Amino acid sequence: MPVIEVNNRGVHIQELNKGAAETVLLVHGMFSNLSIYYFNIAPILAKHFHVVMYDLKSHGLSERIAKGYDLDSMTDDLVSLMDSLGIIKVHLAGYSFGGLIALKMALRFPEKVKKLAVIEAPDPNDDKTRDIIDDYSREFLEHYVTNFTDTTKVKMGKRQMERNHRMYEYLFHETSIKSDMILEKEFFSAAEISDIEQDTLLLYGSQSNCLGAGKKLKTKIRGAALLEVNGDHNIPIQEPVSVGNIMETFFNNG
Amino acid sequence: MDAVVSTAKLNSNEIFDLMKQFITEVIGEEFVEEMDITMESSFTKDLEMDSIEIVSFSEKIKAHFGEQIDFTGWLSNMDLDQLINLNLGTIVNYIEECQ
Repeated sequence: MPVIEVNNRGVHIQELNKGAAETVLLVHGMFSNLSIYYFNIAPILAKHFHVVMYDLKSHGLSERIAKGYDLDSMTDDLVSLMDSLGIIKVHLAGYSFGGLIALKMALRFPEKVKKLAVIEAPDPNDDKTRDIIDDYSREFLEHYVTNFTDTTKVKMGKRQMERNHRMYEYLFHETSIKSDMILEKEFFSAAEISDIEQDTLLLYGSQSNCLGAGKKLKTKIRGAALLEVNGDHNIPIQEPVSVGNIMETFFNNG
Repeated sequence: MDAVVSTAKLNSNEIFDLMKQFITEVIGEEFVEEMDITMESSFTKDLEMDSIEIVSFSEKIKAHFGEQIDFTGWLSNMDLDQLINLNLGTIVNYIEECQ
């Protein structure tokens, strides 16, 4: 069943290789959805692991919710999802905003996270937090244009434009997503970030404007490995096979 | 629900009709009525399906055909250009060969 009830809310999930001994749980980014993993990265990981993907609230096919986009609420959602699926502990990976959720999860619920992969998580305290949120919109649109229009980058079709527009309108104007994110701006500078004890892989694009955030995390998280992949913030789209293979190796070793 | 795995072998016309039914279920009848869906229709350009809609479409194929067709695995071997240009006829041929 793709949409399950978690705390009386509809959550869209997809699972691969259910019988595997260990689970990898994948968290997507803001204004995106689980499809960023579904076609390439998840099938690579599913060669060895049970893979769980889910759409964050108000994203993809999950139910719209007006409040609770701060990292505490987002990790509460993730714990509830794990509980409802009967999963005790996972290898956890998150991309962009999903990377922040993954980091917070490792801090708040270390007993539930085996290894941690953080892909292109931005520093919420980048001097232009507002710009970062605006960048997320551009990233989403670029993702769309790169993937779903032809190489001349013709404009989106009418139906897609309307769909995207409705999602932005909803998230920006009818939810607390912007104000909740601004409240997280001290996340990387808080002392607690150094408490992460899991094996941590930081995966960033070598041309990404978030690479500095990856370097900052490396200095704060003991033993964290920082790997650069050719590309910018959109490495899961630009280099999905590399990203999938690197994660597979990381979660498999030890 | 379409979670019943079909064991009957379908010909290409039947597969095409089934794909049209899945597309209608995913994007909605009101949009399909305005489209001329053919074997040449491309998923992204002609049908304007976005990534999460293609996920839903893939899940319908999985639910219908079960283990006999690894649709996601097949898609995952394509590069970006192939995915962008993927048309209904290519999918119908793939399913027909897998049965």
